[in-house]
Amino acid sequence: MRRSLLVLLITLLVLPPVASAEVAVQAYPLPPGGGPHDVAVGADGIVWYTAQRAGQLGRLDPASGKVDLIPLGPAAAPHGVVIGPDGAPWVTEGGTNSIVRVDPRTREVKRWPLPEARGYVNLNTATFDKRGRIWFTGQNGIYGRLDPASGAMQVWDAPRGRGPYGIATTPDGDVYYASLAGSHIVRVDLDTGAAIVIEPPTKGQGARRVWSDSRGRIWVSEWNSGNVSRYDPKTKEWKTWKLPGDSPRAYAVYVDDRDKVWLSEWSANAMVRFDPETEKFEAFPSDRRGANVRQILGRPGEVWAPESGADRLVVYRMK
Amino acid sequence: MWLLAGGAVTVWCSTAGGDPARGERVFQRCFACHSVVAGEDKPPGPNLRGVVGRRAGTRLGFRFSPALIEAGARGLVWTRAALDAYLADPERFLPGTEMAMPGLSLAVDRRDVIDYLEKSGPTPRRTP
Repeated sequence: MRRSLLVLLITLLVLPPVASAEVAVQAYPLPPGGGPHDVAVGADGIVWYTAQRAGQLGRLDPASGKVDLIPLGPAAAPHGVVIGPDGAPWVTEGGTNSIVRVDPRTREVKRWPLPEARGYVNLNTATFDKRGRIWFTGQNGIYGRLDPASGAMQVWDAPRGRGPYGIATTPDGDVYYASLAGSHIVRVDLDTGAAIVIEPPTKGQGARRVWSDSRGRIWVSEWNSGNVSRYDPKTKEWKTWKLPGDSPRAYAVYVDDRDKVWLSEWSANAMVRFDPETEKFEAFPSDRRGANVRQILGRPGEVWAPESGADRLVVYRMK
Repeated sequence: MWLLAGGAVTVWCSTAGGDPARGERVFQRCFACHSVVAGEDKPPGPNLRGVVGRRAGTRLGFRFSPALIEAGARGLVWTRAALDAYLADPERFLPGTEMAMPGLSLAVDRRDVIDYLEKSGPTPRRTP
């Protein structure tokens, strides 16, 4: 107990004051044991999440708090989920090494397995480009592309092997991914599939996830260094900021519709919001120990965070 | 769960005798973050060469989570049984762990991957 109080005291001292009257925080409890890994919210406000440990896709209706679970099959262990241009949740299904679409109305599960010759790739995250194709990463050292219209799938070896993790699309349609083990980011040539490596300025920083702001600048959460960094493709310039605290761990990053940058910080067990204009951080500590937020997504006015260690989805609503 | 007894961890169950070659294939689920190659320390998780028998949270040069460091200080040693319990459900076994994988639900997978780890290299005689 005394240790817990000490940890709380230290946390309060090293973190900036908790924000903020303009943000309302609400937590939704989920069925226990699911281990919500990633989350995505559609334009209709329905929230989808991967219950990785249960091998299911979850559907939360925030209006009622009702949760439905959709089994993804034997051995499923879904990692990422994004909403496609068709309004359906698309899943990087690590357990069965496949890309999965779940029909939001019928709940039908459709699967595109990776080529068997590739073996187990540890699928991570996906994003759609502006041509309706889904790009994905596999941590064991691949990235790939599926055209749902034709079913054509291509998989490429990642430069420098293992590591491809978070992936995102800019407003102009460019696709970038982060390599956690490789400590770099990559821009993918949408036509040829070639990977163009871009080095952040901090050596061995552990680039874990990426997201774009409204101007196409790439924000990177750096796990090893505890930094958030920004790459401007127009000027090729980087800028880096250290998160608050003695030894921060930046896991996920997401840029909201106001170009504020949200990060999950594991050492302080907190969500952190960064304002690029003032260069100030605001912290939103979780009230659950070991919340372990592994990914963040949102829609205008809302930012959603899955607390994998607490079996909750938490939403931050801007007033 | 692991139990403390006189500063050491009491362990039982989980025996060798599996299939380490199959365990190497199971290890592909761990490969993104871990290596068993001596000196290969770039992956985001600790190198697992010689992990069987090592005190938790003590590999030199790796920044472990506070939860793992604390568990090691309280006596957790990565015996076969402890590894088996941890790999079955990492977050339940050790709340606060930073290991991202959800666990290996099949006992045969855990047995074989532990066999593979055990054969990956020598366990240090004394952990620092």
